[in-house]
Amino acid sequence: MSVLHEGSEPVRHRGPVRAPQSLAGGLLLIALAALALWLTRDLDQGTLNAMGPAMLPRWLAIGVGLSGLALLAAAFLKEGDLLERWSLRGPVFVIGAILAFAFTIRGYAFGSLVLPGLGLLVAGPLAIIIGGHATPEARLRDLVILALSLTPFCMVLFGDLLNLPIPVFPQALTGLFPADWSQKAVLRATAAIMAGAAVLVFLTTRGRRQASVDVADHSGRI
Amino acid sequence: MGDFFSNLSLGFGVALSLQNLGLAFLGCLVGTLVGVLPGVGPIATIAMLLPITFGLDPTGALIMLAGIYYGAQYGGSTTAILVNIPGEATSVVTALDGHQMARQGRAGVALGIAAIGSFFAGTVATLVIAALGAPLTGLALIFGPTEYFSLMVMGLVFAVVLARGSILKAIAMILVGVLLSTVGTDLETGEERMTFGLPFLADGIDFAVLAMGIFGIAEIMRNLDHTEHRDVVRQAIGRLLPNKDDFKQSYKPVLRGTLIGAILGILPGNGAVLGPFASYTLEKKLAKDPRRFGRGAIEGVAGPESANNAGAQTSFIPLLTLGIPPNAVMALMVGAMTIHGIIPGPQVMTKNPTLFWGMIASMWVGNLMLLIINLPMVGLWVRLLKVPYRLLFPAILMFCCIGIYSINSLPTDVMFIGLFGFVGYMLIKFGFEPAPMLLGFVLGKLMEENLRRALIISRGDMMTFIDRPISAGLLAVAAILLVIALLPSIRKGRDEVFTE
Amino acid sequence: MKKTVLALAAVAGLAATGAHAQNYPTRPITMIVPFAAGGPTDVIARIVTDHMSRTLGQQIVIENVAGAGGTTGITRAAQSQPDGYTIMMGHMGTHGAAPALYPNLKYDPTKDFAPIGLAAGTPIVIVARKDFPANDLKGFLEYLKANADKVNMAHAGVGSVSHSTGIFFNSVVKVKPTMVAYRGTGPALNDLMGNTVDFMTDQIVNVAPQIQGNNIKAFAIATPERSPVLPNVPTTKEAGLEGYEVSAWNAAFAPKGTPPDVVKKLSDALIKSLEDENTKKRLLELGGVIPSATERTPEALQKLVESEVARWTPVLKAAGATAE
Repeated sequence: MSVLHEGSEPVRHRGPVRAPQSLAGGLLLIALAALALWLTRDLDQGTLNAMGPAMLPRWLAIGVGLSGLALLAAAFLKEGDLLERWSLRGPVFVIGAILAFAFTIRGYAFGSLVLPGLGLLVAGPLAIIIGGHATPEARLRDLVILALSLTPFCMVLFGDLLNLPIPVFPQALTGLFPADWSQKAVLRATAAIMAGAAVLVFLTTRGRRQASVDVADHSGRI
Repeated sequence: MGDFFSNLSLGFGVALSLQNLGLAFLGCLVGTLVGVLPGVGPIATIAMLLPITFGLDPTGALIMLAGIYYGAQYGGSTTAILVNIPGEATSVVTALDGHQMARQGRAGVALGIAAIGSFFAGTVATLVIAALGAPLTGLALIFGPTEYFSLMVMGLVFAVVLARGSILKAIAMILVGVLLSTVGTDLETGEERMTFGLPFLADGIDFAVLAMGIFGIAEIMRNLDHTEHRDVVRQAIGRLLPNKDDFKQSYKPVLRGTLIGAILGILPGNGAVLGPFASYTLEKKLAKDPRRFGRGAIEGVAGPESANNAGAQTSFIPLLTLGIPPNAVMALMVGAMTIHGIIPGPQVMTKNPTLFWGMIASMWVGNLMLLIINLPMVGLWVRLLKVPYRLLFPAILMFCCIGIYSINSLPTDVMFIGLFGFVGYMLIKFGFEPAPMLLGFVLGKLMEENLRRALIISRGDMMTFIDRPISAGLLAVAAILLVIALLPSIRKGRDEVFTE
Repeated sequence: MKKTVLALAAVAGLAATGAHAQNYPTRPITMIVPFAAGGPTDVIARIVTDHMSRTLGQQIVIENVAGAGGTTGITRAAQSQPDGYTIMMGHMGTHGAAPALYPNLKYDPTKDFAPIGLAAGTPIVIVARKDFPANDLKGFLEYLKANADKVNMAHAGVGSVSHSTGIFFNSVVKVKPTMVAYRGTGPALNDLMGNTVDFMTDQIVNVAPQIQGNNIKAFAIATPERSPVLPNVPTTKEAGLEGYEVSAWNAAFAPKGTPPDVVKKLSDALIKSLEDENTKKRLLELGGVIPSATERTPEALQKLVESEVARWTPVLKAAGATAE
């Protein structure tokens, strides 16, 4: 996939490990194989005539484990790539954004703890603003404008035009609008208000680009 | 032959009526626009838009739904090329070289050749259906579990050829893919496997979730690592449409892809999935310099996209002539037909000739519409890449979340794209390629089911795979392919040993 | 246009939180269908709710939540707010066979629901490959008993209608053919037509076109009366098989605790939908059986669920068919 391999310069390593990337890959495969074997330990393997549920997963896991071992061996025998540099900022914020979306899109009930379903109205902006901070160049102002304009677009597109059964806003919101308004009217009004807010933020903060919260200051990776 | 023309003219009479033309256009347009959203593949799009066809007459409704299907299919390829998120199994291959082309400023060329190749493939496939639809039906019935298993084995060999780097890593990834496909309730016994007792894993891992995580989300995470690298995408936009050289390079792949896709599309149980993979494998093997593949080779887009569209079209054959849906999209079409009062089956052709031939003619019309809609839109899509990445990726992220949620209405699916995204990120860091794993995943489930079915029916006799001629032939092809794929690397490996 | 209707239909009064039945429904209703879009239950749900939406003045949106033989969707629906805005289309599997198939089932079909009413039944037909060496049910049963180790029976996966009804058939006839699982009815039919497997039992809507097209043969239909869609296929009783009458019924439920007057409104709308000529016609085309006036009530549905759970549990447990 990658055209660029940061660590692929021929830096000669001292020590027994000659291909750290293969070593890590091999260990990952072996761990995966072990997990699969452990998970299928109670299942029946069956016979060729009537194969049980465990037959294929078990043999596949063994195959994965053997590939892992081979990679591991190669790591000590053959010169190979170094591990690329890792940065945690990207994955942490991206996964954070996804989780925030997943937890707010619809209501949950974990025993006595009840989370209200907040719908796209909250989940969308959360995903954009949290996710947006995955890059050090993030600017809060831009992300807020993006969130306030994309979310109403999606609300109208999915909730109104396509009629998807996706939760759009919390039920309590209807209470804020005149009672004789239909669900769709509330949806459109909310979307319009958000889009208006986006324009407002855009216009009022236009001149102050430099002064806006700039997370890019501590440039570089976490 | 006389029948062929009278049937087609009957069909075009129906398809070219003003109302049906409008519906085909509308279907293609809406399908493209919705299908282009990351994570929203044809199945989700059709399910989403099914209700808007309720008010129409059955023929019009089906023409529109078919339009939505092609549109969504094509829209999915657009997403694969632009942001490296394949919406479904068949666009995984397109993402490989298509996205590399986009990175090199050739997004327009990639989109253009995809549209033109698809149109050509669609035209041929329409003629194939019209001329040979009924006789080809038999092919679907010859393929039992035994043949199907052997076909899948051949497919897995494609995955080895597909890989760019180390063969060992590719094989490991295929095995992991097949292993992942066995997660969930066992079909034969109903026992849960590797689900950690979690109810949402009981039906296994959804392809869209896995693909979006491994490709799309991992791609975002990786891009965030390489600030300088991803800006290449928006610096050079380059030509918007393919030129003469591009056509010269791609017309043969288009022809071959069309042929492969059309044949595999007829097979039951989602044979169409194999089309793009087979075409890619073939092009890579035929190419003078196979190393270009995976780095933006236009043949790697032209061939598979044609195969994809040809297969998409010919997979209508089992549905139209037998009433048996070969894949999930077609199962949805069965439902749509049933809702409109047409029970799909062998009688549709004789009982509703206007519907049957009208739909076939509308396939060609739909492909033409796609070309008309998409060529002007290429410029628009390409301009999308000019949006600064720091704003583009949060938007993609949100669309991914919405798209995945809309498929099953499960927040756990959304969480899983995060998990798989991280796994994909790790795999990239460890030098593994995700494409063979996805192919292993797609074929794995079919392979296990058919293997077990075949062995149950043969009462445990492995010879059944060799006794049946088609199955034996497929296995032989697989073996030959594997040897061809492995030989150079074995030789190279030996050379390396000697030089050290 | 639909939108104007919706806007007009929104009744003045209270916000949704304090909705009373007089005003119900003030917003679209979600019906959870626990199977993929396009399957028989989905199609029946869409046909029936089409007319119900018009009666209620609010759209009924179908949400397909497939998984684990339909139990995923029903579990979610059972746990949703009992305010009448989330209802579901259950069927023979989710509200009859599921307790036996899924020991960890999170709901009790007999206790956790407010039944709305039966929507439609789809009869089960016994079908075999075209060149099967028997021409009627009697000959088929004889062959089955004589060649029990040779015969392959197809089904659409553990938890599917064809699986449960197939096991039931085997227990009534007292044979044990080799069971071959498929992922869905389509692939199973494909192999039945390709002579790879020998027979199966499945819903009429899936098999009728193939029977009419002479691609497979039908031995009997498991209902008290013949179906107008397949007038030449005898009932099991006519063909000499007692004790095998089974239909894959589909019925609407609300979660337990839904206000009775809301359930009444939904039930009335469903009954009205079943009386509509167009709805009737579309259901009959599918081979569906429209429930009689006495079968349509919530009370009758509750009784049906209780009797179905009682019927399926011993049959499936005896066959050792569990999905855990």
